[in-house]
Amino acid sequence: MSEPMAPPEPTGSQPDSTRTGPGRLLVAVYGLFALSASARAGVQIATKFHHAPVAYLLSAFAGLVYILATVTLAIGSPTARRIAVVSCSVELAGVLAVGTWSLADPATFPDATVWSSYGSGYGFVPLVLPVFGLLWLRRLTRRAGTQRTTMTSAEDAGEATGSGVADGESGASGQGAEDYGVR
Amino acid sequence: MNGAVPTTIIVAGLALAGYALLMTALNRRMNVPLLAAVGVLEILLLVEVGIIVAKLAGGERPAGLATLIGYLIAMPLVPVAAAFWGLMERSRWGPAVIAVAGLVAAVLMVRLHQIWPVIHV
Repeated sequence: MSEPMAPPEPTGSQPDSTRTGPGRLLVAVYGLFALSASARAGVQIATKFHHAPVAYLLSAFAGLVYILATVTLAIGSPTARRIAVVSCSVELAGVLAVGTWSLADPATFPDATVWSSYGSGYGFVPLVLPVFGLLWLRRLTRRAGTQRTTMTSAEDAGEATGSGVADGESGASGQGAEDYGVR
Repeated sequence: MNGAVPTTIIVAGLALAGYALLMTALNRRMNVPLLAAVGVLEILLLVEVGIIVAKLAGGERPAGLATLIGYLIAMPLVPVAAAFWGLMERSRWGPAVIAVAGLVAAVLMVRLHQIWPVIHV
């Protein structure tokens, strides 16, 4: 906000940062889930742990993964990005595994976790979030390659080559092409 | 009990989310009208917190008191956190963060009703 008169930019001022542009939204949603999942698990474990121990411990684990992903995406250093890739992957595996488990064996889950039924209690956001996270991290890794030679001035050109490579994911996510206003 | 305030928050939250998403779609950045709208949502949430605290002070208790107190703390923080995080962004994705806050405010009202059904929506 220090330069309110600057012309609108399709991306943030630091194009290859994990927390600017679409990453801003991603970190916000991750932070939301980090807070809600861990707070909910904390209350459940503290007040009625024996009611559904497996569900509550899985909720707590999910909360920790969300915290890790939020922090590493917000930091965005090379090491943090690697940890973010791992935590997003663990998250995706967790949603799929716990989602399947909760449907196959409902008796183990008398109370819902964040990941039960693939996150249906949370509008399936837990299922979609790690996919967007991994796509975002992959896109940044690729852009870093094209932008090392030609910085922000060639962003459109870099984006054009980048979107050619990323066509598959753009179609899959339905959002890829819009991310930078290249429509 | 009076459900006007939670209902207003749901409508306001969804309207804010729609407006903010429109700004994202039109490639607009954060501006003063959007911040003012966030401020209105914040005031509504504070009013709701006040109503619930008054109920608690009157001796009524929900089944999940700890959860309710967590909500009372988290509710007013949502628009503030979103405003700060969105203002740091100088692209269309700032308003997108505000859209999330609007949706969350609406969802929180529905959850509040589930935690303590005397809070009508």
